[in-house]
Amino acid sequence: MTRRRPTPMQATFTRWKVSISLALLAIAVLIPFVYPNQYGTGVMVTMMILITLNASWNFTLGHAGVWNFGQLALYAAGGYGCGMLVLHASFPPVLALIGGALAGAVFATLLALPTLRLFGIYTSLLTFAAAVVLQLVIQNDDTGATGGAFGLPSIQGFFGGLDPLWQVRAWYWLCLAIAVATVVGLAVLMKQPFGLALRTLRDSLPYGSARGVDPRRYRVLAFALSGALAGLAGGLYTLYNGSIAPNVMGLTPLSIYVTMIVVGGLGTITGPIIGTVILTIVQQALIDHPGTQLTVLGLVLLVIVVFFPRGIAAEGAKVTRRVEAWMNEEEEVGGDAMAPVPVTASGRA
Amino acid sequence: MTDLISIAVTTVVLGSIYGLVAIGMTMIYGILRVLDMSQGSMVMVGGFVGWGIMTSAGWSPIVALVAAFAACFALGVVTQLVSVQPLIGRRGVDFEMITFITTFAVAIVFSNVALQIWGAGQHPVPNIVSGSVELYNGVNLTYQSMLMAGVSIAIMIAFGVFLTRSRYGIAVRAIAQDVDAARLMGVPIKRVFPVVMGFASALAGIAGVFLAGQYFASPTAGDQPLLIALIVVVFGGLGSLPGTIVAAYAIGLIQASASTLIGTTWALPILYGVILLVLLVRPQGLLGRPMEARL
Repeated sequence: MTRRRPTPMQATFTRWKVSISLALLAIAVLIPFVYPNQYGTGVMVTMMILITLNASWNFTLGHAGVWNFGQLALYAAGGYGCGMLVLHASFPPVLALIGGALAGAVFATLLALPTLRLFGIYTSLLTFAAAVVLQLVIQNDDTGATGGAFGLPSIQGFFGGLDPLWQVRAWYWLCLAIAVATVVGLAVLMKQPFGLALRTLRDSLPYGSARGVDPRRYRVLAFALSGALAGLAGGLYTLYNGSIAPNVMGLTPLSIYVTMIVVGGLGTITGPIIGTVILTIVQQALIDHPGTQLTVLGLVLLVIVVFFPRGIAAEGAKVTRRVEAWMNEEEEVGGDAMAPVPVTASGRA
Repeated sequence: MTDLISIAVTTVVLGSIYGLVAIGMTMIYGILRVLDMSQGSMVMVGGFVGWGIMTSAGWSPIVALVAAFAACFALGVVTQLVSVQPLIGRRGVDFEMITFITTFAVAIVFSNVALQIWGAGQHPVPNIVSGSVELYNGVNLTYQSMLMAGVSIAIMIAFGVFLTRSRYGIAVRAIAQDVDAARLMGVPIKRVFPVVMGFASALAGIAGVFLAGQYFASPTAGDQPLLIALIVVVFGGLGSLPGTIVAAYAIGLIQASASTLIGTTWALPILYGVILLVLLVRPQGLLGRPMEARL
């Protein structure tokens, strides 16, 4: 019996994986009813915003392999862009959100151009330095445009007319929808020729260039897309909290978000979700011991990275592949079991 | 004229301290290919050792320096064994990226454990020597600064002599040039790696005692030195010792001029701005060679 080789899209989005994902999505949509707690739902709103941010960051750091440690600058650019449009130009929140995403994309494009000249650690320092400069400039700004060290207060967001519980639920569904759209969109994109080109450039720049992949075009595009998504997440953060301050950037948030991405799995599709959910749970479990939060976070990061350097998602993918091979055997007794299809072009997952 | 002399003095003092922290980092990178983010914590630990011995116990500064050296050497060895050694030769991972993250994790743990033990407050550490001398009308040079600069320069010179003249130093440089060849010549790299990291951490610890005398001992005392050291090593070209020392004084000069002429709030943004420009013109740093380490 001959069978057609599955396309990359079919190989990734197998029936089994799609049904599991849909089941999880249904649970995620219904959670606010099972767990009718305003505080808990609020934590989940923040978690969804962070999943969007981390997925966008993972796109440049993991998939494109650019050592970008300036993502929080793009997040802040989106957040401040959105907040300033609402406060100073009295834009409606929806337009301000789009403005925030555009601000993130523009800033990301500016950040991408110099990184093309650098490699590895040098890129990380340059991008990180850009973020520090932005933070210091905002902190020292005394023109009133950004509010300096105190930030922008009282920004009107969405759902102002609803009662508090429904307001936070509405926010949760909005942010869930955006997070899901981001992750699914990036997953599909990574299976398109565009995604393959990015992975090729990550794994071997000379090979990619020799095969006609223009690093400049692809990296700038990847950064712009990642920046737009980070800006969107930043805008959501500003509108949800009603304020934004320079402390959204800096070493502590950076270390928490990097931990989320790396624990979940750098350069994987589900990694940002898994890492963000696990570390949000860890942080909430330690909420009564605020001093130990970061210590535990550091230990989790150290242990996971030393034992599973490729993250939980990559370890999970091994199990998934085995289950799928087993299910294919069940379906066609005597037929040839489908050869396991690697998740990515390289072994780095 | 007053400004010029005060800039020159500040440059020498800042540059020497930055050099002390940064040569440890550049050496670790040159030999292990690890950008060690835990060096800032070593500065912080050095500061607390200085506080514990000089302020709480009231012992002599010499004891504090020796204790800081020993404590940070031990912590550096532990950090290497825990966060770097298990990842050497692991397949399918980007070693530089992953050790950057594990040493960063160690730094998070160290500074938060310090926060738990000593609290967020600033602990005063006395200067090792007191008094100052007036160089020019209004420009004072404290003996502490002179001692800091003198000891840092002496350590850097001693270190250079060790690397170029002694048998062990030559073995260390051999590893930096070619790990496999060094191993074939009988250099026990598994034993050299922890010692290198311990030694670099000990230098950062000594810098920590000095810096705590200038500022305070606190759990976040290592953040700024780490950032500056990162800038210095990248500016000088990763893995290049002469480049690092030149860069340390260059960064000291930029910071001193910016704070004297424009104001301290803008010193850091200007510093980062200059670094951005330099990296755009010379992506591999001042004396670095692209994709290749020099020691």
